[in-house]
Amino acid sequence: MTSNREHQKAASRYGMTIDLDRCTGCGACMVACAVENNVPPAHEGAPARKGVTWIRVFKVDNGEDYPANRSVFVPVLCQQCGEDTPCVHVCPQQAVEVDPATGIVGQMPERCLGCRYCMAACPYHARYFNWWDPQWPAGMEKTLNPNVAPRMRGVVEKCNFCHGRWHAAKERAAAAGKSGIEAGDYVPACVESCPAGAIRFGDLNDSSSQPALAAKDPHSFRLLEKLGTEPKIYYHSQRDWVRQVAAAPKPPSAKESARG
Amino acid sequence: MQRTRRDILLFMGGGAAGAVLTPAPWRLVTDAALWSENWPGVPRPARGEITARYTNCALCPAGCAVRARCVSGQPVSLAGVPSHPLSQGALCAFGLTGHHLPYHPQRLTHGPVEEAAAAVSAAMAKRGPGESVAVLDLRPGRSASWTYRRSMAAVNNGLYLAPPRPLGGAAVDLAKARIVLSLGAALLDGWGTPGNVHAARANFHLIQAEPWQSPTAALADQWLPIRPGSEPALALALANVLNDPKTALSEAAEATGLTDKQIVELAHELVRNGPALVLSADDLPEALALNQALGAWGRTLVARAEAPVPEPWKKAAPERAVASVPDASIRVLFIDESVPGDHIPWSAIERKLVRDNPVVVTFAWSRQGYGRHAQFALPTAVYPELTADIPPAIDSPSAAFRLSASLMAPPAGMVDASAFIAKAAGIDAANALQQRADAIHKSGQGTLFTCADAKSTPLKDVKPADFWKALNEGACWQSGAGDSPAHSVGRAGAPTAFVGPPAFLSSPQQSTAFPLVVAFSGPHAMSLASPLMSKLYQDSDLRLAPNTAALHPDTARAAGIAGDSRALLETPFGRCPIAVVPDSSVPPGMLEVAPGPEVLDICGADTRAKVVAA
Repeated sequence: MTSNREHQKAASRYGMTIDLDRCTGCGACMVACAVENNVPPAHEGAPARKGVTWIRVFKVDNGEDYPANRSVFVPVLCQQCGEDTPCVHVCPQQAVEVDPATGIVGQMPERCLGCRYCMAACPYHARYFNWWDPQWPAGMEKTLNPNVAPRMRGVVEKCNFCHGRWHAAKERAAAAGKSGIEAGDYVPACVESCPAGAIRFGDLNDSSSQPALAAKDPHSFRLLEKLGTEPKIYYHSQRDWVRQVAAAPKPPSAKESARG
Repeated sequence: MQRTRRDILLFMGGGAAGAVLTPAPWRLVTDAALWSENWPGVPRPARGEITARYTNCALCPAGCAVRARCVSGQPVSLAGVPSHPLSQGALCAFGLTGHHLPYHPQRLTHGPVEEAAAAVSAAMAKRGPGESVAVLDLRPGRSASWTYRRSMAAVNNGLYLAPPRPLGGAAVDLAKARIVLSLGAALLDGWGTPGNVHAARANFHLIQAEPWQSPTAALADQWLPIRPGSEPALALALANVLNDPKTALSEAAEATGLTDKQIVELAHELVRNGPALVLSADDLPEALALNQALGAWGRTLVARAEAPVPEPWKKAAPERAVASVPDASIRVLFIDESVPGDHIPWSAIERKLVRDNPVVVTFAWSRQGYGRHAQFALPTAVYPELTADIPPAIDSPSAAFRLSASLMAPPAGMVDASAFIAKAAGIDAANALQQRADAIHKSGQGTLFTCADAKSTPLKDVKPADFWKALNEGACWQSGAGDSPAHSVGRAGAPTAFVGPPAFLSSPQQSTAFPLVVAFSGPHAMSLASPLMSKLYQDSDLRLAPNTAALHPDTARAAGIAGDSRALLETPFGRCPIAVVPDSSVPPGMLEVAPGPEVLDICGADTRAKVVAA
């Protein structure tokens, strides 16, 4: 396993910025992610929220009553913690590793024994357990992405910034005689699919990349920054209440709703 | 003690037997998956040559350009085409999963084709006086629509029916708008072409007047929470203020929940910060009147242009609304729902059919549409199997022609709706798409955008054969600014006049019997989308699950419904069972409903409803 100090010196440190003032909650990122990574539809008869969703869009509000109520859509995926990555520390199988070349926190389902310690340790609830073997309606397995192996029942999985795409970009770069992947050659599916252009992706080590610029923006924030895990997903909003909710010690009291 | 060879063998045998009882060998077997990546019960994705192909999405009138990643010809993922002049690289969640539709569990795979043809011939032959044959086209403006119109012109008493065109058939030029008042229109959530809307969004100020905080309201520059069902009153009041600044506003203020001052200021803001545009969810005539008062016609609203058509096609039946047809007069009705389109409640259609044995034939890819009510439901190809053209979207001020080119072969036994209807009418409609393409090419106008190289070429520089080939590879023809397309719908400068008072004032009885205003939670029926869309309602709360309604807890309590439970949704058109979830973000007096086949059967535009405990 590579230490966090080491991977900060790595050639690339991929990160993301999500503009909450642009996100319409359309869910394109969620389904594009599922298509790219061979995530199956919700299992028949499964209770709500028990399915696998590497990126989940939450609707968060300011806690006020109608009509003062205001809401925002917040896509939450693995935050790719750059420091003291909790899931890496707790995994007894070394099934979670930080890629020294990219800074991406990777999950290896082949090693996972399904103890779910990592799920308990993840402060972002961004890890998902396969309660069932993946199933697609008859014939739909023909539409699976050949670059990503479907995972079996009993293992944990999570966002890996579409690592299959990173491999493909690396191969293309090598075939073209380039020494590395150029900006824009490697883009995760959620970034590519966002019709509003709310999600931007890039190398945090490249000071001109969107995430690197977002990291310095006063209207940007990271989730649970106080934990010191140095997540690499930066959220951005010009709306004060959104940033205040993100920084609050506790979310606003839940209103009466059976939807969330 | 001396060790013999036997002891060593015994030790080795015992060790091997004992090892079987430890996890080690089993772990090794599992670890072999590291190399094989093959677990029983887990499908293995097929491998093969990877290619990129282009088409246009047929799932809604936006017709966004699509780049399909194919493995041995099978589409495995879809994405937008960056730099496309119309869709700007965007694709919505439904479009991204369109390649799953051929495998939808509700796919209609076979139907009684011969029996339907025989029943149609017999019914057409024994038609009585005044009885008609009609085609209901849920997506007008296609070349197939022209085939239907030509077919109905060839039949005695043939009718071509279509849902009312939004904005009276006009097109919206969002790029010219500087301020947009949306009366509940889902501008940022499925209205028009998503890429075009998001590209234009930075240039206009958006005011969303809507009772609930929809996704569009959440991202608008200003959200005006008005009372449910008061959109017509607000539009009318604004138009009146613009026409006569001294007009009394107390009634409108009472209806909308806004103050007189707010209404006057809003009217002034629309004028001051124009060019303005007013959009509405239910295509309100009041919104058209307000657009007229604001001078939007000819600026942000223009006549919708359509691509040229061959001259002989123009001898076609006129487009009519279902409501204009006399009751009990249609003997044979064809319904084309092979591509998703606008919906008309079945009860509104049913009353137009003759009472004794009408013949209703639907052409559909799914079992969940009007086929549930028809004698004959015939299976059709579905996107991305079918090849069909896509008429210009509502936010396309120029004429456009693009094909949803087939990416995969449809299964055997699928029916071509236009060929079936043309045959029944006795006309020749083979090669209609290519004839239309030839007519466009003959005009010599406009440009051709090809997806693979992202190039725009003047049409006059493209050979006819190359034009047809490019269209089949997802290219898009678009008329130029100075071109005059041969055909246009809508009337720039002559809007539909506002007649009568707003609906909420004209039907007090309906308001009492059905106190809840219905708002759809999304533009599409989830049950007719990819199974992966369950991510949006089962694994998150972005959308409501099919046949589910959300309402304010107080409204639910008043209806005797406690917590999550089953209930009956009742409208003037009928009733259907639904699941109810309480949600305090839905204002009292409103009902947010997920569109689904049963719900759409009883909910039309501007519908009111009530919910009763099951």
